[in-house]
Amino acid sequence: MATTTATGTRPPLWRDVRVLRVAFQVAVLAAVVAFASYLYDNLRANDVSFDFGFLDQQAGFGIAYTDLRPSDTVLDAMLTGLRNTLTVALVGNVLTLVLGTLIGIARLSGNWLVRRAAGVYVEVLRNIPPLLVIIFVNSVALSILPPIQDANEFGGLLVLSVSELGVVSLADGGNAEAFAVLLLAGLVAALAVSWWRRRLEDRTGAPAHQWVWGGGLLVAVAVVGYVALASPVVLSHPEVEGLSVVGGARMGLPYVAVLVGLVLYTSSHVAEIVRGSILAVPRGQTEAAGAIGLSPVQRLRHVVLPQAFRIATPPIINQFLNLTKNTSLGVAVAFAELLRVTNTVIGNGHPAVPAILVAMGLYLVVSLAISLVSNVAHHRLRLVER
Amino acid sequence: MARATDVLAEPLAPVPEPEPPARGLTPREWVRANLASSPFNAALTLLIGAGVAWALYRLGRWVFVTADWAVVRVNLRLFMVGRFPADELWRLWAAGYVLVAAVSLAAGALAASMRRPVAGDGEGIAGDLGGGRRRGGVARRAATALHRFWPAVLAVAVILSFTRTVVPSLGTLGLVAVGVAAGALGARLPVRLRRWAWLVGVAGILGGLQVITAGDGGVGWDDWGGLHLAVAATIAGIALAFPLGLLLALGRRSSLPGLRVVSTAYIEAFRAVPLVALLFLGNFMIGFMFPTAVEPPSFLVRAVIAITVFEAAYIAEIVRGGLQAVPRGQIEAAQAVGLSPVGVMRLVVLPQALRAVIPAMVGQFISLFKDTSLLSIIGFFELVDVTRAVTLQDAFRGQGLRPVALAFAGLIYWAGCATMARESRRLETRLGVGER
Amino acid sequence: MPRRTRTRRVTIVLVALSLFAAACSDDDDSNGAAADGNGDEEAAGTGGEGGGGDGLLGEVQDRGTLQCGVNETVPGFGLVDEQGEFAGFDIEYCRAVAAAVLGDAEAVEFTALDAETRFTALQAGDIDVLIRNTTWTSSRDGTENSRFLTTTFYDGQGMMVSADSAFQSIADMDGTTICVLSGTTTELNLATAAAGAGIDIEPLTFPDNEQLQPAFEAGQCQGWTSDKSQLAGVRSAWPDDQGGPEALRVFDETYSKEPLGPVVLDGDDEWADAVNWAVIATIQAEEFAITSDNVEEMTTSDNLDILRFLGQPFPDPEDPEAEAPPLDAGLGLDADFAVNVISQVGNYGEIYDRNVGPDTPLGLERGVNALWTEGGLLYPPPYR
Repeated sequence: MATTTATGTRPPLWRDVRVLRVAFQVAVLAAVVAFASYLYDNLRANDVSFDFGFLDQQAGFGIAYTDLRPSDTVLDAMLTGLRNTLTVALVGNVLTLVLGTLIGIARLSGNWLVRRAAGVYVEVLRNIPPLLVIIFVNSVALSILPPIQDANEFGGLLVLSVSELGVVSLADGGNAEAFAVLLLAGLVAALAVSWWRRRLEDRTGAPAHQWVWGGGLLVAVAVVGYVALASPVVLSHPEVEGLSVVGGARMGLPYVAVLVGLVLYTSSHVAEIVRGSILAVPRGQTEAAGAIGLSPVQRLRHVVLPQAFRIATPPIINQFLNLTKNTSLGVAVAFAELLRVTNTVIGNGHPAVPAILVAMGLYLVVSLAISLVSNVAHHRLRLVER
Repeated sequence: MARATDVLAEPLAPVPEPEPPARGLTPREWVRANLASSPFNAALTLLIGAGVAWALYRLGRWVFVTADWAVVRVNLRLFMVGRFPADELWRLWAAGYVLVAAVSLAAGALAASMRRPVAGDGEGIAGDLGGGRRRGGVARRAATALHRFWPAVLAVAVILSFTRTVVPSLGTLGLVAVGVAAGALGARLPVRLRRWAWLVGVAGILGGLQVITAGDGGVGWDDWGGLHLAVAATIAGIALAFPLGLLLALGRRSSLPGLRVVSTAYIEAFRAVPLVALLFLGNFMIGFMFPTAVEPPSFLVRAVIAITVFEAAYIAEIVRGGLQAVPRGQIEAAQAVGLSPVGVMRLVVLPQALRAVIPAMVGQFISLFKDTSLLSIIGFFELVDVTRAVTLQDAFRGQGLRPVALAFAGLIYWAGCATMARESRRLETRLGVGER
Repeated sequence: MPRRTRTRRVTIVLVALSLFAAACSDDDDSNGAAADGNGDEEAAGTGGEGGGGDGLLGEVQDRGTLQCGVNETVPGFGLVDEQGEFAGFDIEYCRAVAAAVLGDAEAVEFTALDAETRFTALQAGDIDVLIRNTTWTSSRDGTENSRFLTTTFYDGQGMMVSADSAFQSIADMDGTTICVLSGTTTELNLATAAAGAGIDIEPLTFPDNEQLQPAFEAGQCQGWTSDKSQLAGVRSAWPDDQGGPEALRVFDETYSKEPLGPVVLDGDDEWADAVNWAVIATIQAEEFAITSDNVEEMTTSDNLDILRFLGQPFPDPEDPEAEAPPLDAGLGLDADFAVNVISQVGNYGEIYDRNVGPDTPLGLERGVNALWTEGGLLYPPPYR
């Protein structure tokens, strides 16, 4: 990148690399700013409002299966939508991880039937759009579930109807907060104990059963706390009273349809990632581990899985992000997630552009948070090259 | 003193005959090895086996007995081409022939130029479809092609089983024949002409577009629907998003901070929002991006713009991963040889980078195809919307037929995506991606 | 130059040319702003060269087609059949406006919109006029930048339930789930009505009727609330294997006033006036007993008001011999636009009877939608 010619003089400005670089960047930035301001002017010329004050106005509508009342503000409504989105995302991601890992491992099983069945599951669900899966689950549920008056009740554990579902859950029996604090303390203690046992095992080489110690401690704390606080949490059984489900965890059918559909779809991707990551561990590692005398379980635990975990973590976190964004498909089945609520707000006469900007801002925050976790994991887990 | 010749004077001990190769497992042994190698395994087999058998029985009963497929049979045209006027359907067939001929020609030429000049190794993309050396008879090559494309063949067979006349079947067979012939022709093109092959492919696509839209009864793309719309939107999306994504990836890795900031902001912003939100926003806002004197673009154009903008961000990330995978030594060597920065990119880095990310790239294209289903949410007559419309017709409403229609739509999507995925894996293997 | 460079340049030129060719010819044939397969022909309108200046009126007349935002899921008002043909009360009013402005009732391009996006489509200029059973409210006038024109249908909000349910009024429906379209006044009114009755309900919202109906059929909600005209339309089309119309019951209660009419964008008075008087013409025609059958003979009537209304030359009462020119009200329309409207579409009564009247499946009586001379609310301003 010489900035002098062979005779030692500076090249003319229009060929000087440094000038060109700066000029190009200035041009790009100027173009972006010009486009943004042109768009803004165009919108203003058409009387499109940018006023964010609508957030404090009364929503005027309620949302089924939530606590939103028409007298709450628009901002409350959108946050309720966000809460719905995050609920599906959280529960869905946990279920996806569990189901996906199981099926991924099943695809590597020695059992031919298990392997094939898992293979069919993955190959079918991976190649169908998630929207189709969600709508399919919703329509099947609409046609086979009974109306709430004739709901199927399964002994206080489960209630199935076409409008609401209920699942047994934990409810506050008196001292639930104290119990939660106790459990948290127990968890911290359990982690510390298992870390200590792990250090012991690394130092001495003899098995120190870190998870048994840690788990045992946690269970002991839970039992002691439960007895001492005299049933702080009780099981809450769902029942049909009149036209709604009372007790337990009450879920609208759209929520369940979106959850089940997304879990089915995303778990097929996670299964493929898990399988790929285990296969990507070089065979030499497995053979070497066998050569030094590790049992198959030890091979898996100490050699294969840690390396597979390193390979699998970034794509799995990516799938979590995808699931979170795919909750917006709930628009198609009347699930009141963030985008649906935004559309309702716009349809009720509030200015469109600020409303969408607020919604996209919320999505951005959630996605960037997950991306941050992914980047940190990627950074910690990567192989360092020169 | 023993001498070498003494040792060799004795005849060498006969080398034992090698063992005959182990015969394959008998069925009994196979079951023992694969299904019942331990009591736990045996129990698992029984459990899963029972579950699978039950599921297959229910599925089979539903597909062949209880489901009323009339909703698909009567509305097959809606599924395939939306509300395309019936008397203009010849345009679609003509466009299809033009497209298949041009693209097969291009593919045949491409395969021929990628084929390694080793005798007997005539397997190109068109290799077992007619180009290159003839290995085995027509039947054998047809069987190989069938095995390779079985999802697509299954879907086409199911679709054709719903037609009421024999004309569509004949038309499809004609398409296949034209494709095979054009592929063979393309493979036999002289080397000089092969470089223009991809241009023929592009011309074919544009020509097909012209056939559909030009003339008095031409059907503009706002009236397209069904599978036709999905495929067209996918092709348009890929064609537009790939160059944009490439530019963004290069911008993100650029040493100019201004460019890097803009590219990074774009990529991070558009990867963070769901596509549905962008479609809604685009529908509203893109009209304002054009000066008032120009007529705002049609709804489909706006949707394609939104899809392009979204997919470009993902493609940029994939290409960036590929660029990172190219060893630094390559760049240094290219600079040492004296290539300009553009030359380094074009001749050394990009070919390696793109080759390395083919699976991820095809995965993204598959994802784009699946994302076209979202067009039904914003009101286009996409496959998913067709399933809704047909279940509201007077003859079919209220009978819970939506799952039936959705199963058909799902089959179509599955066939398309599965075919692309299989071809991608094949391409991966052939190009040696991922092998050390 | 080296062969590779030449190849590259030729390639670029060819690709650019073919792209241009494709883009340019597509503009001639593709329909401008249609969102759904609706395939209405773009017949070039010949009428109405009038005084359309720089505003939307002039633009529509130059373009030769009217872009009308409508519903496609309400029987009787806006419904599309499988061939893509639109039919309904609001559809016919789109045609009436086209007849007035362009002289050709078929020169309309319909854009089906759902309740949430109808106003954004109007604001973005994708449609010229919104005739989609839209209720006139103050907040829509204000925040949606819209201008509501003459009410064509005075409606009210009602509730529909299954005929074999025990509900007789909204007060019985505590704790029930009610299906409602989002982005409508219905949603807000439901909340108010429920609060007024002192009950708690769960509103399940959908963007359009096509998504709402399966949920109601499956029993996901116990009630369906909407404008009574929409409920009548849905009920009339209820499939026989679900029990037909008798399986549903609409409460007699009315929860709100719902005046439905055409909507245009604020700021273009000339366009608003033109559309407004096209609509008023149909009502005035009924008052004068002019129908599509007798409009030709009415052009030679003795009644001066009728002659003026139909844009015919009418004799000066003081000087019967002099030929007076037809009245040009300065709306930018042809003087005899009313003749176009009535002969190609019809008067209010004909439109009503064809689409939602007592002889149609909807079976709605005129009620308050009758002329003022018969005790209704339709009172057309005089055309002079």
